[in-house]
Amino acid sequence: MKRLTTQFAVLFAAITMSSVVHAQTFRTNIPADPAMVDPITYSELVAGDVMGNMYEGFTGIDGDGKVIPALAESWEAHDDNLGFTFHLRPGVKFHSGRPFTANDVKYTLEELLKPGNKGGLNARYLNNIVGADAMKSGEADSLEGVTVGDDLTVDIRFTQPEVLFPIYPIWFMDAGIVDELGADWAQKASAGTGPFKFVAWNRGQDVQLAAHADYWGEGPHVEAVDFIIVPSDDTAISMFEADELDAIYINNAAEGRRILRDPQFADKLIKVPAAQIRYLGMNQNLYEPFKDKRVREAICKAIDRDGMVSGLFGGAAFPLYGQITPGVAGYNPDLPAIPLDVDKAKALLAEAGYEGGANMPPVKVTTTAPNKDEATYFAATLKQVLGMPTEVEVVERASHIKAMNAGEVPFFAWGWSAGYPDALYFLSQVWYGPSVYNRSRWQNDEFDALIEKAQQTADNEARYALYKDAELILMEEWGTCPLTVRMQIAAVQDGVEGVSLTPFRFRPFNTVTMD
Amino acid sequence: MGRYALRRVAGLLPVLAVMIVLCFVAIKLVPGDPVMVLLSDQSGDVELEARLRADYGLDQPFIVQFGRYLAGLAVGDFGYSFRYANVPVSEIIGTSLAITPILALAALTLAVPTGIVFGTFAALRRNRAADIITVFLVVAGISIPNFALSAMFVYLFAIKLDLVPVAGWGSFSQAVLPVLVLAIAPMGYITRLTRTYMLEVLSQDYIRTARAKGLRNRLVIYRHALRNTLVPLLTTIGIIFGGLLSGTFVVETIFNIPGLGRLAIEGIFARDYPVTMAIVMLFTMFYALINLCVDLLYGLIDPRIRLGSDGN
Repeated sequence: MKRLTTQFAVLFAAITMSSVVHAQTFRTNIPADPAMVDPITYSELVAGDVMGNMYEGFTGIDGDGKVIPALAESWEAHDDNLGFTFHLRPGVKFHSGRPFTANDVKYTLEELLKPGNKGGLNARYLNNIVGADAMKSGEADSLEGVTVGDDLTVDIRFTQPEVLFPIYPIWFMDAGIVDELGADWAQKASAGTGPFKFVAWNRGQDVQLAAHADYWGEGPHVEAVDFIIVPSDDTAISMFEADELDAIYINNAAEGRRILRDPQFADKLIKVPAAQIRYLGMNQNLYEPFKDKRVREAICKAIDRDGMVSGLFGGAAFPLYGQITPGVAGYNPDLPAIPLDVDKAKALLAEAGYEGGANMPPVKVTTTAPNKDEATYFAATLKQVLGMPTEVEVVERASHIKAMNAGEVPFFAWGWSAGYPDALYFLSQVWYGPSVYNRSRWQNDEFDALIEKAQQTADNEARYALYKDAELILMEEWGTCPLTVRMQIAAVQDGVEGVSLTPFRFRPFNTVTMD
Repeated sequence: MGRYALRRVAGLLPVLAVMIVLCFVAIKLVPGDPVMVLLSDQSGDVELEARLRADYGLDQPFIVQFGRYLAGLAVGDFGYSFRYANVPVSEIIGTSLAITPILALAALTLAVPTGIVFGTFAALRRNRAADIITVFLVVAGISIPNFALSAMFVYLFAIKLDLVPVAGWGSFSQAVLPVLVLAIAPMGYITRLTRTYMLEVLSQDYIRTARAKGLRNRLVIYRHALRNTLVPLLTTIGIIFGGLLSGTFVVETIFNIPGLGRLAIEGIFARDYPVTMAIVMLFTMFYALINLCVDLLYGLIDPRIRLGSDGN
């Protein structure tokens, strides 16, 4: 019997050892299969995690979350502010070995717009290019507003100013790939310029990338990246503990709280705020008391942000005092904190004629199941502290989003994630009057004028100043109640260097080195 | 026997038809909207929403959608996934199709013999210490939920002892823990049932007769008692197998196994109707086929059970 046990142990050891991949493969987790691995139909987060390592745009984000030039070395705005001339980086090679040129830029933009191509998330950034409509309807097969100068110069014109065009995350692809590999090329290869190229996608198991030896920038220092599909964060943490993963990104709040408390991870964690605002939406058209600024201020001051961070989120969040998150260009670190002030809140409510909640009609904080705890906290707090007759309503997500877009939800706690690292994404979509995503329908002419001006201001510092003014108006008017920012949490093994988090999840892994 | 089997297979068709209708209706009734999932933060883009609805045929009236689905099924086309861009359902399911049955069969192969051995062992030592300990372990095995057992096993065997990998699929060592976790509860059931049936059989007259004839104890147990225990056990094993096939999703999620259960969960969350439909259909067929096999096996184990009226 004892001999048998020993034999088993030897057998197990042999099996375990044979499954260890070579040391120079960097292994990390993704929570599901990517929905696609081509930059045209690209439309979701997990696909973005993988493709961010294979594809690049005009600009990228550095380790501090700052925008840096990538495939464009420099650019200048047209005098009429209706276009840009981009000077492309020389010497950049696609995974196929072909050089990256202005033709590839034009090709990518056209492919994104072609009807029938199911252009995904990135296609929305092209709507204002001259000729985009004709491309979308199929009337034109060439994009009028894009002119190829020479191999490394491309000129793009718009119907209205698009000052952020250089930072839009549009991933450029190899114009020769379809000729080389056919229409289903994405299953065989990648067509980008990024530090890693596609090797294989084993559905349900992993996506494997290999180093692109001709990469123009730093690295890649590791030979390969293996994105292992791990639906459960608990499993990902166990795999990390057993050294089956070199770095993990925590996708779930509960596991985030757990790993944050566990001392054995303390020196392995990276913690960076996500580019996602959260706020209490107060629709003045639907609930009479919200029309009074003092009521809105009272609500904001009755909420204990620090208490939410330590209690509800177990430390995995940061308090938010404006509507731009740290790490996103235009963030104002000097905004005054909004401390819990029960006395002031009560006094304000009384001043507005609703002392202790008297005369206030009942109202519901509407939310979806995953955010129920948070909404329960708001309802309970507003009831206890202010006497406001508040209840929680949990609804299905899709119908909630539709109702919010239609401006039909009086009171809700919700968030908004930025698609690119500039505050305009938050301000122009969530608080600008005409925007459909202005779900609480707050409207201020002065604010709207500043946003419109910012949309035409190509100079970064001048634009940031406009954001600052606009955000101050929003906060002085108590148009919103900022809540918290989610803390992104990642863990990295000892001996693995160069892994960093941006406000938009992991940076590409070209800087990663392993012992 | 052959005609009986044929008749039973033909009987599956109406079951499948009813299931397709029920499932199609049920999926539409569940709150949620695949297009809203796909739109994510472009939920207010009316133009894009209309395009996506048209792409997936969701702009059509319910009856047209159903008709199109049936027409597709008739030629073996399960449609395209909503979540995975431009990928047919058959391709998505194809890679998972074998994994869940393999997992279930492996667990069953482990659970049935061990369960029968433990059950017999306990029955023959009725009310002695060995019996009581076995019964205690059985109750424990049945009572501890899958996910708790998985967490314990992973912590002990993968993290602390480093004998097997935490998760994954493709090698023998990766299959050890999930199969073990899946096998434990069925092992418990089979042990308990074998013990009960065995005790019942052992008190029968023919066993006393066999013993009186002077047959060796071993022969009495294995030839006479066990064989008669197997008949009622077979039904249970069939049910357990069905349960294993459709109940692997927790284990598949915890151990990162790309099987049908996990795919079903993902499909349901993403409102990926075509994938969900196809998996429900598969599970229905699995169940029906297992029942059929059990019924046919009865006749083999116990010749007294005659199948079909034309048998006499």
